[in-house]
Amino acid sequence: MSKKTITPQKPRISQYGVDPKYITKRVSEFPDMTSVMLKELFPDTPQVIYPSEKGIAEVRETAEKALKKIDMSMIKSTDSVNVCASHHGFTLLGGEPYAQLLRTIRDVIAQRTGTQDIRLRAGVGLRFRETEEYIKAFKLDEHYQGKAKGMAPVDQGIPIKTEIGTLYGLKAVYDADWVVHAHNSDVREVHFHRQVDRAVKPFGMSYARIETRSTYHQNLGPRGANFTARAIFDSEFVQNKFAFAAFLDMSPVGVVGVDVDNDLYALNDRLTAGGCRYYGKIMTLLGEIDECIAALDFPCPVPYVFAAGVIYANFAGANVDLFDLDVPLPPYTWYTEAFYGKDGKPLIDKVPPVNPAIKMALHNYAWGGYPSAFFSEHIPTLVVGGEQAEVMNRDPQNIEYMSYAVTADNLDTAMRFAYNSAKTDKVIIFDGAAGGINVSEPLARLLLEKAPQVNKRVDEVLLPKWLRQRGIDTQIIKAAVL
Amino acid sequence: MKLITLVAKIDIEKCTGCRTCEKVCPTIAIKIVNKKAVVDETLCRGCGNCNQRCPADAVSMEKLAEPYRVGVSIDDLPYNKIDELCQRASLNPEQIICYCTMTRAEEVAAAILKGAKSPEEISQQTGVRTGCKVECIQPVLRLLDAYGIKPVPPEGGYQWYGITPTIWDIPSEVKDKYNARGFYFEEDIRLLNEVKDTRKEAKR
Repeated sequence: MSKKTITPQKPRISQYGVDPKYITKRVSEFPDMTSVMLKELFPDTPQVIYPSEKGIAEVRETAEKALKKIDMSMIKSTDSVNVCASHHGFTLLGGEPYAQLLRTIRDVIAQRTGTQDIRLRAGVGLRFRETEEYIKAFKLDEHYQGKAKGMAPVDQGIPIKTEIGTLYGLKAVYDADWVVHAHNSDVREVHFHRQVDRAVKPFGMSYARIETRSTYHQNLGPRGANFTARAIFDSEFVQNKFAFAAFLDMSPVGVVGVDVDNDLYALNDRLTAGGCRYYGKIMTLLGEIDECIAALDFPCPVPYVFAAGVIYANFAGANVDLFDLDVPLPPYTWYTEAFYGKDGKPLIDKVPPVNPAIKMALHNYAWGGYPSAFFSEHIPTLVVGGEQAEVMNRDPQNIEYMSYAVTADNLDTAMRFAYNSAKTDKVIIFDGAAGGINVSEPLARLLLEKAPQVNKRVDEVLLPKWLRQRGIDTQIIKAAVL
Repeated sequence: MKLITLVAKIDIEKCTGCRTCEKVCPTIAIKIVNKKAVVDETLCRGCGNCNQRCPADAVSMEKLAEPYRVGVSIDDLPYNKIDELCQRASLNPEQIICYCTMTRAEEVAAAILKGAKSPEEISQQTGVRTGCKVECIQPVLRLLDAYGIKPVPPEGGYQWYGITPTIWDIPSEVKDKYNARGFYFEEDIRLLNEVKDTRKEAKR
């Protein structure tokens, strides 16, 4: 008898997505769907502290213990502190683990330093009110005693002198004596940052102004992009304010722990290695899929829906090794998208095709708020319900999404159409299932069959190469295992 | 070119006249008049910045009964002029520079050659910077700079602050210092040069 599916992440009320009342059925509810746990695929899948029997209390306990090693002596009782957060953390496992980390950081700083002037500054991607929604949902404004606010990249900025010239940060990030960087190690946008300085990225992104973010995506190239973050972080201005970093340490299976450091680069090396190892394996395995229907079914914009810690944008590029820096362009990244000419074909030969294994995308539940027309232009896309199509049509970032996609009245007819036209019985569901992945039975068999050789190839060949390309000593992995 | 489908509407009862909407509007379509926001609907490109930043929640985005397109034609200019300007900005004229509107460098170059002198005018004419409102300011500034225009940001506004470095500007000592950390600057320069210099006609 086949295994039950894992309960997907619940729809979320948001101005960027359809009202949850319209999500009447999830793809994982079809009887031919099953699940595969990450532990079944990769024996070295790490133990997690969340989800766990102890629940969210385990995250708090782990964070309190980790923060004991942080030097906070620079923060005086009369000083102000900005705890800087990003929207992304709230999309992990329903958001409560990240919210708990943010609450714990505030409480420990207050207790250790005596200051009460601790503010939460939560940055965003391209949905400018997204963290306002999370602040409200998780009651963070109450916990931060009325000092929590969302920030957007069009808010007032400040110039920051860097080694490469002037870049621009958000004034609200730096309007305190000290800055605490509260983030997570989920690799998420490998197509953008290429797992180079992953831990530093928010300084060039969610804490940054539009000028800096445009520099990242238009001026520095597909592998140099994240240098904007390092340039800002290394500036005298930021160094004079940086106190410490506290990260939710993620793996595709859940929260592994809480990693903290006064030295962001030391933390970065540890998280880079862990990310390459754990996410590298599942991404490489998903690259082995020969054909499939990709079902999008998660409260996030189209590119960010999750399956086993891998976002759809990365699955669209899983036909190449996104961690390999010898590969100049992923099949999807904004530099790649920019390099398609007016005839719809690439300007240069180095542009790889979008993952040909994806025969159809079934958009059962995904938000707007991120330019996503590239996906419907390159992958046959079936949107469930007119209401969802209307969300995209009303979105200034997705005016053309429905120019390429078609709609079905409901999930049942959509699924039938997808099977008939894609002519495959392999289905992968991007629904944020925790601990594993929801798939159709034929795809489950394929993943289980391919996993052992992927495990060996990553451990013995790919991981050493990935770390070497990033200047990270491979001993760091051995140390983590011990 | 952008299809305009939305327009900003102000709830006068809620509006406090705080000027936030005015400061973030990329097309300068909103002014505060008698302590209330007023939208010039002929300039509004439906980007929603005002709606997304208004602290009083006084701005809604309404669907237009008759959507319309804005854009600048490249057909009435010698293409070599457009091409030259894009080259000077290190861009391929066919390169997409706005991922929401799919605007290509050639259209923005055409707008500049026809007289647009600021990011605001370019946005009004082409719709660029009115989707996500984040990612495309630098290529616009690079094209203006390449034409010898040094625009001044709107006074007191947050629309944009300044042009920033490109990969071609990174000093060699900085590249040397960080190459081993996975940044691959020289390889990316070669890639971007190839994009900049490739012409489809020549390939054919």
